[in-house]
Amino acid sequence: MAGLTEIRDEQLLRMMQGGDEDAFTTLYRRRQGGIYRFVLEMSGSTALAEDVTQEVFMALIRDNRGYDPSRGPLGAYLLGMARHHALRLLKRDRTYVSIEEGSRDGRDLTPFSSEDPHWAMSRQQSIQTVQQAILSLPEHYREAVVLCDLNEVSYEDAASVLGCSVGTVRSRLHRGRALLIQKLAGGKKVEAGSKAIDPSRCLA
Amino acid sequence: MNCKDFESTIHEIVSPRAADKTKQLEALEHAGHCLWCALRFDEETKLTESLQAFARTLDVQRAPARVEEALVQAFRERTWRTAAPRFWLAGKRLWRRLSWGLVFAATVAATWIVILQAPHLHRGSSVPPPQVASNPPLASSEPSQANEELRLAPGQSERQVKAQSERVKSQVAARQSDEPGAARLRNRKPGASVLDHRQPDSGAQAASHGRAERAALDESASEVTTDFIPLGTCDDSECMDEAMLVRVTLPAEALLAFGLPINNDWVAGDSVAADVVIGSDGVPSAIRFVN
Repeated sequence: MAGLTEIRDEQLLRMMQGGDEDAFTTLYRRRQGGIYRFVLEMSGSTALAEDVTQEVFMALIRDNRGYDPSRGPLGAYLLGMARHHALRLLKRDRTYVSIEEGSRDGRDLTPFSSEDPHWAMSRQQSIQTVQQAILSLPEHYREAVVLCDLNEVSYEDAASVLGCSVGTVRSRLHRGRALLIQKLAGGKKVEAGSKAIDPSRCLA
Repeated sequence: MNCKDFESTIHEIVSPRAADKTKQLEALEHAGHCLWCALRFDEETKLTESLQAFARTLDVQRAPARVEEALVQAFRERTWRTAAPRFWLAGKRLWRRLSWGLVFAATVAATWIVILQAPHLHRGSSVPPPQVASNPPLASSEPSQANEELRLAPGQSERQVKAQSERVKSQVAARQSDEPGAARLRNRKPGASVLDHRQPDSGAQAASHGRAERAALDESASEVTTDFIPLGTCDDSECMDEAMLVRVTLPAEALLAFGLPINNDWVAGDSVAADVVIGSDGVPSAIRFVN
C-alpha cells in the first residue's frame, strides 16, 4: 500500500481494472478530497458533495474503461464527471443557493478556531461572505473560480474539465472574479473594478 | 505594459502560482505609475487572499468514511461478479481444451491398440491350412512322403505351389520312366484340382474352402482307390499346371484294360468309379479306380 502512493493515477486505474482493491483505495483517497471539495464549493451542500463523490467512484467501478489518457489526466476526468453529476443533481433539485441562504444543508462549512474571538468571528464572517458570494455566481463563472482559484487547477486541466478552450476559461475566470469583487463590495459597483474594465482609462 | 495589458493579466499576476515573474514585475511597475491600476491590483490581491482563506478552511473537508466503505464494498462485489464469470469461462475453456485433448489421446490410444492387436487378430481370423490330401495310401508300397508333397495349403504362396508342382511333375515323370503305365499319383479328392493355383488367401473364402476340403477328405477317407495310372497322353509337363480331377463312371471292363483284376461276382454291365486327371489341354493324363 505504501508503494502505491507513488504510482501515477493511470497506473492505479489499470491495477484497479485488474481487480486490485488496494489500488482502488489509493486512488480514491488521493482524489476524493478534490472531488468532494469541488462539489461542496460548487453547491455548498455536504450531502450533495458526498453523493456526487460516491457516484463518481461508483461510475469508475462500473465502467472504468471510459477514460481516455490522450484527453487529459485522470484527475481532470474525475472532476469532469463530478461536475456533470453535480450539475445534473442541482438541476434536478432546482434549489439553487442564494447568497442569503448560506449553505444549503444549514451546516457551517468553516470551522471555528481557537483564536481571538473577535478576530475569529470577523474572519468567520469574512469566509462565509466569500462562500456566499461564490455560490451566488452563475454556474459557468463559479466553475472557473472554484477550479482555478480555489483548487488551483491549471487552465489546461480546467478547460478539459469544463469541456471548453483555455481562452474561455480565462475569460470566465476574469469575469467571475470581477463579479466576486462586486458582490463582496456589498452589491455596489466597484469603482476601481468598473474603471478597470475600461481600457481607455490608461494608455500608458 | 499599459492598462489594457494589465487588466487582461491581472488575475494571473496576483495568483500565488504566477510563474512569469517578469510579467509580474512589469505589472507592479505599471501600477506604480497608474492609480487606477494600483487600486485594481489591490482589489484583486484582496480577493485572492479571501479565496485562499476560504480554500484553506475547506482543505480538511473529505468525504465521510462511510462513502469509502460503501465504495470498497461495491468494488469487491463488482470484482467478484466480473471475476466469477471469468473464472467459469476460463474453467469452461480449460475443460473444452482438456476434453478435446482427452478425445485426441483416446483416439491415439485406440489407434495404437488396433495397430498392436492387428497381427493377433489376423492370426486369429486366419484359417488353418486344410489338409487336402490325407487319404491313406491304397498300395502299401506308396510312401507317405508323396502325400506330404501333394498337400496344397490355402496359405501357400504361388511360388511354393509352383515348386511343389514341379516336384510332383518330376516324380510322375520319374515313375513313368521307372514303371511305364503305372505311375502313381495319389489321393486327390474327386473334383478337386491337382495343382490348384487359385489358392484363397484368407478370410471366409479360405474358411469355406477349407471346410469343403475337409468334407471331401472325410468322404474320400472311406473310399478305396488304386494308384494313379498315367495315360501317357501328357508329355508336356505344362499340361499338369491346371489339371483337374474328375470322378467318372466306366464299364468294369476298363479295369482289365489297365491290367487290374475284376471281382468274381462281376456281371456284365457293371460299372466302376474312377478319378481321371484332366490336364489344362483337356486331355486325361492319369486315372485311378475307386472301390
